[in-house]
Amino acid sequence: MTTRTMSRPIEATMTDPSLGLPTITMATPMPGFPAHREFVLVRLNDDGLLYALTSIDNPELRFLVAPPEPFFPEYAPEIDEAVFAALNTKDPDRVLLLAVITAGQDETTANLLAPIVVDRDSMRAQQVVLTGSGYPVRAIMNRAF
Amino acid sequence: MLVLTRRAGESVMIGDDVVITVLEARGDVIRLGIQAPRDVQVHREEVYRELQEANRAAASPTDDAVDAVARMLKKPDGQP
Repeated sequence: MTTRTMSRPIEATMTDPSLGLPTITMATPMPGFPAHREFVLVRLNDDGLLYALTSIDNPELRFLVAPPEPFFPEYAPEIDEAVFAALNTKDPDRVLLLAVITAGQDETTANLLAPIVVDRDSMRAQQVVLTGSGYPVRAIMNRAF
Repeated sequence: MLVLTRRAGESVMIGDDVVITVLEARGDVIRLGIQAPRDVQVHREEVYRELQEANRAAASPTDDAVDAVARMLKKPDGQP
């Protein structure tokens, strides 16, 4: 597995077909971005904790995402069966959670209310609103590890 | 805006495959049931607006911001 680092421009990484980057298809578009269905997930650091979810339709659109578990150990959302159906999920253990990160001047936050759920087999994804969960849209990220 | 009057148990159809049923009306609270295809997400409006705003704020951070987050999330040396 090739390690990709910050020094490598995302666009250059994306245009290298030999890397075989995973293409993720949104079963429903992310709120606010109805025109973007296809994304690639690009690793941004060696630890594997930070990724860029970059639109194939417009590479200038990207979201920072990270698995929430290392930062929010208590985070254990319940995913509705309807989500698994929309993602063609056969094994719920094969879904990956990614939190959308907002990089701010003073603080960096993670959206725990609406994680992106990715089925690793179908490579379909959906930003899922955990209605009634009480999880915040802007949870301040701390290093919990 | 189309305005319709419905009783509990009655429904409204939007297009061919979205059905909204009034389940119960009690005072100023109305419970709705919504049947929609898998590729149509249904949200409370205020939640959708908040999510839309959060996504827009998160979209396309500058390279400097990405560098800063990457540094912050880096594990200390010596840890797996």
